[in-house]
Amino acid sequence: MIWVFLIAHVAGVGCAAVAGRSGIRTALGVAAIAPTLTAMWAGVSMASGAPPTTSTFPWVDGLGLAFRFRTDALAMMMTLLVCGIGVLVFVYAIGYFAPNAGGASRFPASLLAFSTSMLGLVWADSAWTLFIFWELTSITSFLLVGHNNTDAAVRIAARRALMITGGGGLALLAGLLLLENEAGTSTLTDLTPVQGSAANVAAVLVLIGAATKSAQVPFHVWLPGAMAAPTPVSAYLHSATMVKAGVLLIAVTGPAFTGLAVWKAVGLTFGIASMLWGAVGALRHRDAKLILAWGTVSQLGLLVTLLSLGTAKSIFAAVSILFAHALFKAALFAVVGEIDIRTGTRDITELGGLHRTMPIAFAVAVAAGMSMAGVPPLLGFAAKEAAIEAVLGLSGFDAVVGATAVIFGSVLTVAYTTRFLITVFGPGPTTKVAPRRIAMTIPAVMLAGAGVLGFIAMGTVNAIVRPAAIELNPKAEVYELLRWPGITTGLLTSLGIVAVGLALGAAIARRATPRIPAPVGADGADAAIDGVLKFAPRLTGRVQHGSLPVYLVTMAGVATLAALPLALDGSTDHLVAWDHPLQALLALVIVASAIAGAFVGSRLGAALTLGAIGTAMSGVFVLHGAPDLALTQLLVETVIVVGFVIGLGHLARRFPEVENTWRLTRLVVSGLGGLIIMAALAAAGADPSGTPPVGDLTAGAVEVGGGKNVVNVILTDLRGLDTLGEVVVLAVVAVGILALGSTTAREEVQ
Amino acid sequence: MILAHSPIVQLGIRAASPLAIMVGVYLLFAGHNNPGGGFAAGLVFGAVVTLRTIAGIQRPTHAIQIIAAGMAVVVLTAAAPLLWGDVLLDQKVLSFKVPLLGTIKTGSALPFDIGVTAIVVGLVLSLLDGLSATSLTNSPAETEIPS
Repeated sequence: MIWVFLIAHVAGVGCAAVAGRSGIRTALGVAAIAPTLTAMWAGVSMASGAPPTTSTFPWVDGLGLAFRFRTDALAMMMTLLVCGIGVLVFVYAIGYFAPNAGGASRFPASLLAFSTSMLGLVWADSAWTLFIFWELTSITSFLLVGHNNTDAAVRIAARRALMITGGGGLALLAGLLLLENEAGTSTLTDLTPVQGSAANVAAVLVLIGAATKSAQVPFHVWLPGAMAAPTPVSAYLHSATMVKAGVLLIAVTGPAFTGLAVWKAVGLTFGIASMLWGAVGALRHRDAKLILAWGTVSQLGLLVTLLSLGTAKSIFAAVSILFAHALFKAALFAVVGEIDIRTGTRDITELGGLHRTMPIAFAVAVAAGMSMAGVPPLLGFAAKEAAIEAVLGLSGFDAVVGATAVIFGSVLTVAYTTRFLITVFGPGPTTKVAPRRIAMTIPAVMLAGAGVLGFIAMGTVNAIVRPAAIELNPKAEVYELLRWPGITTGLLTSLGIVAVGLALGAAIARRATPRIPAPVGADGADAAIDGVLKFAPRLTGRVQHGSLPVYLVTMAGVATLAALPLALDGSTDHLVAWDHPLQALLALVIVASAIAGAFVGSRLGAALTLGAIGTAMSGVFVLHGAPDLALTQLLVETVIVVGFVIGLGHLARRFPEVENTWRLTRLVVSGLGGLIIMAALAAAGADPSGTPPVGDLTAGAVEVGGGKNVVNVILTDLRGLDTLGEVVVLAVVAVGILALGSTTAREEVQ
Repeated sequence: MILAHSPIVQLGIRAASPLAIMVGVYLLFAGHNNPGGGFAAGLVFGAVVTLRTIAGIQRPTHAIQIIAAGMAVVVLTAAAPLLWGDVLLDQKVLSFKVPLLGTIKTGSALPFDIGVTAIVVGLVLSLLDGLSATSLTNSPAETEIPS
């Protein structure tokens, strides 16, 4: 089934691109088909309790590479989120975009391509399958963030996101290589705990990869910038999908790394820093969408913290919050997008009174916001309660750090949620609003409604979340989400958090935000990227300065050094003066021509001496009984000499004068090179490695290749693949020559 | 360049071209059992084209088309065995009787070689084009005799 849905998604990408001709709304509708079917399948198979399936497609057998997928409970939960929220986002986008919006072929296809990559990622059961889809999400999200590609700021934001997540992808690649080496398998569900220094390095690298994708401090700088994307993209990427990829990675590699101290330490550092700094960011900003973006950084920090703590209960809490967060954050982004479209602004200092003019959006925002803050009767409450219980149940150092950070982070979460709701919807000069777009309202209502329904039908949510947590840690089976935990320390703590957070949020809500915080981190990241772009041409200019003689001297020098070890060993006992007296004559011609070529002043003369060397060489081949080689050499020489003559027509007739030092350098390099390579060739003849395969080849030529000419049989049959590669090189060279200096091209320009 | 203005050179090259092409064709077919082959044949054809170009008889055109055709033939010949489940570049030997010529034995190496020939010819053509060989034959400034 996995293949059917993946292929349906890929086909959907093509169909959406074609359907874009009849408008963006049609294309979005077409693109929504595959996610709808997949979400329905996921729902039905989860409801019917279908057993997990795996599916393998061998890719490179020799390297043990295979596309491996699995549909266990965790994968199915993520499928439900990716496709379920995906469908709602497609519907939402129909309302968001004007019917004649640009990029009609590009946007729906890119969004579905992203959705496909994400599905592949959540289904992946091999580290390498996961990695491939991981990179695909980076690329497709780049296209989505940079959708408004005529805006320079958008392009810079998209590039920043690509460079940071792509750079993290490199760290992840190295980490996964080490992990596979240590664990002895690339199958994620077979991972066993790893130990040792290589495992520690792998753990840090994998965490860095996850942190870039999941926008953990200090890699979070791409996420606020990614708000330049159309809001449907933000609602999708920053709620259920892209940013959850990193969390999912930490979750699935957790079984291998959980025992490592460095895994926990680095993970907790990332998580706690992001949880707190993200919440502070959400309190500082004025743009409603940026407030949500910083809130996402904070929530992801909470998830990473809980996963890094690594107890069964904290993992259960993390999976629950992951589920709840996808729903409420998508709903909140949907509301902000609707406000943006209907009022024309997202600045909270300009917004006000929307509870009257946009009552449905207000209701959605309150329900989703309360879920985010962890207030009953909403799904977010039960999930947050599980997290509080998990950190209170810790002991020792973990308890102090974990509990303090999570409680403090939760207070700030309540505070920024309160501030968001009060400033956007609360009393104030009422902002004018445009008419409602029904396609935007329905998905928002459904997403927020899911948070309410999830609380009422807690059993269903438990049926989705619990098996997923059990996949990661079997001990999680004793936990479940509760509607009412009873009067416990956890509940009292939660109440305290909400009370303090409400007070804090209300206190600062209407305080003037004097200035928008400068995006220091983002500017730094851009400066680093620009620096690389400036440094690269300078380095290339140094290394590739375009002087042919310098290239030749460099190449000859390197070849000499490479031949040096060979030249130093080996005897001269096997050397004879000649096999045939004519060889001496030919050698004389070659040496004389070479010396003449080095000293002759005219270019034409030099070309002719080269031709003489080549022709004499073909004579040497004949004497050695290699007519094929001789023929080819002769023909090549003929064509090359004529080519030289043509080329010389464009150049001065004589070589230019050169400085003495440069002349000396060339003399030394070529003299030494000639001597050392001669010595190396002589030494190579002394110690042939094994018997030459001539006998086998001659015998096999007629039989295998159907020809008596062994050379040709080798070229066309035995080593046909090499020949194929060589002619491809020839063709590429020819095309390159044409592109560089085609007279027809120049005539067309004129 | 002097060649373009010398009737002797022009006539000589015109007369020699068919002979050289015959040599090239011979090398192409002989390559299977005797010295020769696609690369050598391509070089002979390339030499013919080069001489004719610098003598001002023809212009080096259609390089891209010839390379494309050569690539297509080579790749198709290489990939065709995959269709019937053999490995890439697997050799098929054919032999059939033709009146007057007797038994002809050939194989899938022949189209492969023909493709190689075309690519080599295309490379020579693009070199001539890239070096603007025709501009040398036409430009009056270049007609002086080299000392």
